[in-house]
Amino acid sequence: MDETPLTRLKSAKTKRFDSARPDAVAKVHDSGHLTARERIANLLDPETAVEFGSIAAIDTEGNWVPEYGGVDFIGQVNNQPVIASSSDYTDKGGGYGGGRLEHLIALSQQHRWPMVLFVDGGGSRARHPRTGLGHTELSGQFGRYTHFDGMAQLSGWVPTIAIVAGPSFAGHASIAGFSDFVIATKGSAIGMGGPPMVEAALGLSLTPNELAGAEMHDKLGGIDLLVDSDAEAIKAAKRYLSYFEDNASGELPERSLSDELPTTAHEEDHIFSIIRSLIDAGSYFELRPSFATTVTTGLARVNGKTIGLLANNSFIRNGEIDESAATKTARFVELCDSYEFPILSILDSVGAVTSWAEGATGVITTEPGLSRSHTRALMAHQHRTVPLISIQIGKAGGFSGHIMCGSPTGHTSPLASFAWPNAEIGSIDGFSATRNMNAFDDVIEPAETRKNIVNLLNLLPSQSERRSLISEKKHSVDTW
Amino acid sequence: MDDKSRQEIVVARKLAQEGSINARSLIRSISDTGSFDEYGALATSDDDSDGNNYSDGLICGIASVNDKSVAIAAYDRGIHNGTQTDRNMRKLAKMIYLAQKNRWPFIIFLEGDGARRDEPLLPPPIINYTRARWDVLEGLTELSGWVPTISIVTGDSHDGHAAIAFLTDLVIATKGSSIGSINATRVTSRSSEELANRGEVDVIADDTVDAIRTCKSLLSLWYESVNEFEEPDEAANISSIVPPNRRRQYDMRKVINAFADKNSTLEVGSRWGSSMVTAFAKLYGRSVGIIANQPMSARAGAIDSAAADKASRFIECCDSYGFPLISFIDNPGYMVGPEAEAEGMARHHARPLAALHQRNVPLYSVQIRKAYGLGPYAMSGFGTSRHVPDLRLAWPSVESAGMSLEGAAYLVKRREIKAASTPQEAREIRDLYAEEMRDASSGLNAGRTFSFDDIILPEETRPRIARHLIRTPRRIPSRKVRPIDPK
Repeated sequence: MDETPLTRLKSAKTKRFDSARPDAVAKVHDSGHLTARERIANLLDPETAVEFGSIAAIDTEGNWVPEYGGVDFIGQVNNQPVIASSSDYTDKGGGYGGGRLEHLIALSQQHRWPMVLFVDGGGSRARHPRTGLGHTELSGQFGRYTHFDGMAQLSGWVPTIAIVAGPSFAGHASIAGFSDFVIATKGSAIGMGGPPMVEAALGLSLTPNELAGAEMHDKLGGIDLLVDSDAEAIKAAKRYLSYFEDNASGELPERSLSDELPTTAHEEDHIFSIIRSLIDAGSYFELRPSFATTVTTGLARVNGKTIGLLANNSFIRNGEIDESAATKTARFVELCDSYEFPILSILDSVGAVTSWAEGATGVITTEPGLSRSHTRALMAHQHRTVPLISIQIGKAGGFSGHIMCGSPTGHTSPLASFAWPNAEIGSIDGFSATRNMNAFDDVIEPAETRKNIVNLLNLLPSQSERRSLISEKKHSVDTW
Repeated sequence: MDDKSRQEIVVARKLAQEGSINARSLIRSISDTGSFDEYGALATSDDDSDGNNYSDGLICGIASVNDKSVAIAAYDRGIHNGTQTDRNMRKLAKMIYLAQKNRWPFIIFLEGDGARRDEPLLPPPIINYTRARWDVLEGLTELSGWVPTISIVTGDSHDGHAAIAFLTDLVIATKGSSIGSINATRVTSRSSEELANRGEVDVIADDTVDAIRTCKSLLSLWYESVNEFEEPDEAANISSIVPPNRRRQYDMRKVINAFADKNSTLEVGSRWGSSMVTAFAKLYGRSVGIIANQPMSARAGAIDSAAADKASRFIECCDSYGFPLISFIDNPGYMVGPEAEAEGMARHHARPLAALHQRNVPLYSVQIRKAYGLGPYAMSGFGTSRHVPDLRLAWPSVESAGMSLEGAAYLVKRREIKAASTPQEAREIRDLYAEEMRDASSGLNAGRTFSFDDIILPEETRPRIARHLIRTPRRIPSRKVRPIDPK
């Protein structure tokens, strides 16, 4: 049969489908993962996808040319526009997208469409087309984004989500590092230099996971969420995106607070049970849950409206705020401010501490004190315009108030600063401090707290209204 | 009491403060003679029972330093341990107001024990989170990125004093001073030198005289005077600093000193992130910021998390001040290995990239030897969409690759290398191939792809960049773009 332009196209496209490479697909499935196309199919709403570059990158022999090695789509997730892309690790380690992503990034920037990027792979290939004689030709270029400065440009303007479900090194890891929200599956890895490079440079022979494992990053703050599988990662990405729309109607909390004041934090669940009693049932989506655990950060809904929730966990080391907890707080405040999520800050902390590795054992101890990591949080609050509601439910020692809520004056003054009657102000309780010195906007009972929050949130424009009022990005979300 | 007696009391009270107070002498020694206009000299706390609570422990006002205005303040440890009260915080807030309004640099000498415990008023929110009019911390965050803020730690600074230090752009601390926290039972403070090792303090000064000198040089950068400069002593010998043998290390500081105007270099953060050098300097009298890799360091110039953080913050600082950036590149890329990854390299590496992307000041880059992997980007940005370096220069000794040439050669020739009979033979296989790749990327070849705007001789570096600098007058943003990230 004669080859027509149409049959040629059809044949080229067919070669790109998983059905054309059963061996590679079986290998991916055996390792417990999804193929690049399966990932996107699981992510996007059915029948919404438009593919970009479907036949690009196949050379005359049907092989992928360098630089490519991935699939790109625009579609919808929960009816919202999303740009979705996945590297294809089975294809010569995946191309990190120097040639693919820049157009998608430009579209994301123009239309303010969130990006979901699956980024596993080993970085740029040995013969990167931009590299002439060993040099990267940077001079004089102007116009399109590379994925690096493109990601920097998107930060704080459109939500960027990276999913790492395999070894991700160098350029791939960089994309993850730039993203607002990094999801990684157990057993995956994110690092600047992959095992071959580490072997060449340091003589260490390590698996990707030993070298820069997701489990390690989960504890040390390198990722935002650790999940079990590709499917869980996709679910988490969808869930994260869902917070970018308010629900028309909210749900009641799982539990309500009784008249009893939760006195001290003797139970591990202490702060989380208080959170559950204030927000809509099942709506707390914790970010960086295993890192700097004396403060918990996450997205939640109150009466259907998305909020950023920030709370001290006084069960752990009396809620002390070390350098890590402070930067976790600062970055979270930047994130909420960028995307217009009002912040609810629940205060119960002995205060700021600095960490020191003592002696030869290297055991970390903490002591009261401040650092520049702590003042980062003050800077973040000072430059937010999104409102904050604070509730002091216990202590607020050593600058924790400033770190959690910003200055109580002028520019960053909370929309409302509440206290429960047992809040402590030095040696004075919240009730007396307010009655005698007007220290808080009001002292309230736990049981009336949610209602106050709901009523205040009702006074505010919705997050999407707020976002539409902003014509240029306020600031980036710091990568750390 | 008649008016005359009132006047006498005021004069007597002011006179009593003269000469007796260290804080005031610090201000006097930094400012031009007779230029200090004090604010709130008579302010005291309400509980001034001992009658000698001059200035309520905080001396402040406006002054001139080399004829240029600054808002200035100094805590006095002699009075209630230099503690903070409602009244002296209001004085300080007034200084912040003046600095903000007039775009004057803000300078503060710090020493003291945080909030005054016996203060009869409600303690400030720096102790407890309550509503109040205490706006010093807020004011300092507001100044960040708008005017230079400099703190000089002259003694033990606790709590509220530490907060002020860590909210300023540059912390100069004298040897023997400390920063930390104090309460009724316990002092937990660390020496400023220890804090400089983790980037909390920018410059360690020998004593207050040295600290004041450093502060004055920073001020002379902000208030640049382009008419006076001297050629650096080593200008003609700059090429001899970098040894011809590419395996031999050299001190990048020497390159910087041979490049910048004589005695103009002011390094900040020298005690941490040692694979990156960050320094303010002048070039033909114009203020610039220099970021440079340090081959002579523990990680041989590889950029680790600390170096990335240090560069990123410095870039933000120069951008706010309107100082053009000059980047000296010689690095093997970002640090790799399990230790570096645990430090969060995958996230920290992005910070200088983002800072370079968001900058408004021009950037001039000079690649001296190597730049592997993402190394050149960390130092000069990607710059395809928003900014490219105004001038991207290289010396003939330059070499570039996706990773170290020896490393790349090892990977490409791994099979042959592993089959080699002796370690020496293995090394030879690797080095031979590395040498081939090196030749392809060095000397004239580097210019052929327009990867660089020009390949120049080392001694051309200074005049070439200076000419460009003269053509692009300093642009200080007319409104605040962003705060300078404290870390």
